[in-house]
Amino acid sequence: MVGGLARFVLRAVRAAARLTRAGRWVMLRVLINQIRFTALQAIALVGFLAAILAFLVISQSIRQLGRFGAIDNLGTIMVVAVIRELGPLLTALIVVSRSGTAIAAEMATNRVMGEVTALEAMGIDPYIYLVLPRMLGAIVSVATLMVVFDAVALTSGFVAAATSGMSLNRYTGIVLKTLSAGDVWLTLAKGIFFGAAVALFCSYHGLAVKAGPTEIPQAVTRGVVATIVAIFVMSAVFVVIAS
Amino acid sequence: MTAPRGSSVLTAELARVAGAPPLVYRDVALLGRPDRRFDLVIGAGEVVVAIGDENSGIEVLGKLAMGLVPPASGTVEVFGLPIAELSYYDLLVFRRRLGYLPQGDGLLQNLSLRDNVALPVRFATDHRLREVDAKVTQLVEDFRLRAIAGLRPAQANEEDRRRAAAARAVALDPKLVVLELPFVGLTGRAAQDLLDRVSRTEDGGRRAVLLTSRELTPSVRGLVTRAVKVVDGVAAEDAK
Repeated sequence: MVGGLARFVLRAVRAAARLTRAGRWVMLRVLINQIRFTALQAIALVGFLAAILAFLVISQSIRQLGRFGAIDNLGTIMVVAVIRELGPLLTALIVVSRSGTAIAAEMATNRVMGEVTALEAMGIDPYIYLVLPRMLGAIVSVATLMVVFDAVALTSGFVAAATSGMSLNRYTGIVLKTLSAGDVWLTLAKGIFFGAAVALFCSYHGLAVKAGPTEIPQAVTRGVVATIVAIFVMSAVFVVIAS
Repeated sequence: MTAPRGSSVLTAELARVAGAPPLVYRDVALLGRPDRRFDLVIGAGEVVVAIGDENSGIEVLGKLAMGLVPPASGTVEVFGLPIAELSYYDLLVFRRRLGYLPQGDGLLQNLSLRDNVALPVRFATDHRLREVDAKVTQLVEDFRLRAIAGLRPAQANEEDRRRAAAARAVALDPKLVVLELPFVGLTGRAAQDLLDRVSRTEDGGRRAVLLTSRELTPSVRGLVTRAVKVVDGVAAEDAK
C-alpha cells in the first residue's frame, strides 16, 4: 500500500505541476464545491460539538480543580486538552465521517461507472479534475473548521466558567496565560496535514476500486480507517515535535 | 477558437505526419491471438461501421484508437502517430483532437448534461468564459438538448444521455470520432439523427467516424461509407 500511495502522491504532484490556466479554472469550480460541502455545510456540526465538548470539560475541570485550589490550571486544560489535541482530532474525525466517506464513495463510483476513463479519453487528467481539488478543499476546510472549533470552544468554555461564578476577565487571563503563538501555528499545521490525509487516503482507496460496485463500500471503509489511523499517528508525532 | 494546446514534441510529430489517414489498424491482434490479425484504414471524412457479435473483437476497437489500451501486437496509428507509443501526458493532449463516445455514455453523474458537454471545452482551450458559453449553447441546440440541459444524467432517458455524450465527443470539433455501440436502445430515427450530427464538422465538412455496432441499422445505411464485418478478430468482408 505504501508504494501505491507514494505513486499516487507523485502523480498528484506531477498533475499539479502541469496544470494549465484552463485547467485551473475547471479545478477552481470543483474546489469551490468541495469547500462548500466540506467546510460550509459542516460549520454547524463542528460548532455544536465544540460547544458541548468545551462546556463539559470546563465544567468538570472547575469542579475538580476548585477542590484543590488549582483553578489557575484551567487555562492549561483548555489550551492543551481542548485547543491543541481534542479540537483538531474531533474536527478531523467530523470531516472524515462527512466528507472522507463522500470522497471515497464518489471516486469509487467514478471508477466503476467508467467516468475516470471518460475523463482520460477527453484528455483530462483525473488527478487534476478529481484529486487535486479535493486535496486543496480538504486542507482549507479542515484548517478553517479547526479555527471555528477553537473560537466556539473558547466561548463555550467561558459560559461554563461563568455558570461557576468566574468572571470574563479572570477566564480570559487564565486562558491567555497558557495560549501562545505556537498554538496558532500548530493548529494551522494540523489543519494542513489532517486535511491532506483525509483527501489522500480516501481518494487513493476510492480510485483503487477495480472489480465493480460491490467494492465501493469496502473502499470507503478502507479509506476512512486508514485516515483515522493516520490522523492519530500524526497527532502523536505533533506532540513529540511540539515538546 | 483556439486549438487544443500540445507539447512541442507532439506538435512536431503531428507536423511530420501531416496528411496521414485519421485511423489505421495494422496487424492488430484484437483477441490476443497472433493468427487473427485485424487491418483497417479509415480515410478523412469516411464513416466506417465495424459490425460484430459479442467477443468478435469490436469491443476493443474504440479503446485501441483512443490509446486507452495498448495493442497486444501490431500498431494503431491515429493521424499517423502510433498512439500506444505516446507518453501519458502527450496522450492526454493528443486525445483532445479526437472525439470518443464510450459504450454506455461515460457522462459524469454529478454534472448536468450541459456541464458534461462544457467540460472538454472549458478544459482543453483558452476560450474566454463567454466564448465557452456560446459554444456550449450552440452544441446544446445542435443536439436538441435545450429542454433537458439542466438535468443530471440519471434524470435523463437513454436517448438524451447518448445525445449529450455525442455532443461532448464533438465539442472540440475533432477530425476523428470513435463511437462505441452508439445505437443500442435508440430508435432508427434517433440513430440516424445522431450519426448525421456527429459526422458533420463545424465548417460543414465531413469528419472521419469509426463506429461499432452489432448490426448495420437500416436507418443509418445512407450515412455510412463502409461497413466492415468483424469475425473472430478479423475484418471479414464489406458488409454494406
